[in-house]
Amino acid sequence: MEDQTKKKILIVEDDKSLQNALVEMISQEGFDSESASDGEEALVKVRSYLPDLVLLDIILPKKNGYEVLEEIKKDEKLKAIPVLILTNLEEVDNVQKALDFGATTFMVKSDFSLKDVVEKIRAALK
Amino acid sequence: MFLKLLDNLNFIAGCKKYKIGLWQCPNFLFLVMGLLTIASMFGTYFASKSFDNETVTIVGVSIVAAIIVTVGSFVVRGVEKIAEANVIKNEFISVVSHQLCGPLSSIRWNMEVLETDSSPEHLKPSPKQMVFLKNIKSANDKMLKLVNQLLEVNRIDEGREIFHDEKADVGAITDQAISELNDLVEERKVEIVKRIAPDLPPVYADASALKTVIRNLVSNAVKYSREKGKVEVDIKPEGKKMLLVVRDWGVGIPRHQHRKVFEKFFRSSNEARYRTDGIGLGLYLAKAIVENFGGELWFESEAGKGSTFFASIPVV
Repeated sequence: MEDQTKKKILIVEDDKSLQNALVEMISQEGFDSESASDGEEALVKVRSYLPDLVLLDIILPKKNGYEVLEEIKKDEKLKAIPVLILTNLEEVDNVQKALDFGATTFMVKSDFSLKDVVEKIRAALK
Repeated sequence: MFLKLLDNLNFIAGCKKYKIGLWQCPNFLFLVMGLLTIASMFGTYFASKSFDNETVTIVGVSIVAAIIVTVGSFVVRGVEKIAEANVIKNEFISVVSHQLCGPLSSIRWNMEVLETDSSPEHLKPSPKQMVFLKNIKSANDKMLKLVNQLLEVNRIDEGREIFHDEKADVGAITDQAISELNDLVEERKVEIVKRIAPDLPPVYADASALKTVIRNLVSNAVKYSREKGKVEVDIKPEGKKMLLVVRDWGVGIPRHQHRKVFEKFFRSSNEARYRTDGIGLGLYLAKAIVENFGGELWFESEAGKGSTFFASIPVV
């Protein structure tokens, strides 16, 4: 049985080692989570799982993060879900692109510890 | 004068050092051009004695011009090759650093999970194993810092770094910058004395870049301090500017190296005596950021007595 009080996070990350660490930390912090390893899987899961928040990588197989973000924000049912971008790209034009598409915030993996990521998740869920 | 000329002529060693052929070495090409020009002028002079003056002058001048154009094009090609090598180098650093970021972030995050793991006590790593895990983590953090620094330098060099002006809490930024150096400060047993003038006007600057400047200056001061030494950090208003002064009483920088201090990858020769890590990008980065703010960064230093770095930054 799914715990109704737990907030649901969809983790979209193609690197398994990063995905595992995120899933583990997020569950330790008391969230429920599902993960997707490519853009298409992300879109399927965001519709079936209806998460409270999406953690989204940019460089992904099949569909990239921008495309996923755009589709989420176009969908009336999904567009209110906060999307936090988590990526290796640190160029400023990418930050702007993601924010223009409606991302809540932008995190560069190498600048953030898992604790920082969790903090951002909590802030976005408030 | 003559010695200097000889020194300039030592281009074969120079070519070997920079791994370029003799025909790409500007010094050598200019020498060839000079010699050929002189030779053709003499030729013109002697020929003009035996032939019709006007024709000879035209032919002579044409030959000189042809030589200058030909050799000049070699010089340009040589310089282009050097410039191209520089671009390739920057791209290489950027690609490698980006590729390193992924695995390094992964190690960091997975290590974090191990540390906060909520498994039953008997399934957790033993205290002894924890010590080694911590070692891996701190080594990884160091590597991550280096890679981030390389990427930052690359972005600044290519003009891709964008600074956001925001109201910056200088006190909090300074505290953060210093706390990021906790390990180093503890290791060197250095005391940091921080003084922020109460009448400091509000500062508008990119907080994260400002933190980098403060952290790099203080970290240098700590690294080059003697054990149990003192580092002073003073921040005070100076007209419409904020003056940041970081002073240490450590090993100082020998006079002959003063002009090199802000060069990329520069490391003082006193390094060997005071074992430190770093790749010589801290001050380069600090100066680039301060200048981007429209400010100035300079220093005074005497070998054996210590150094004082000054950063004057416009506040609005």
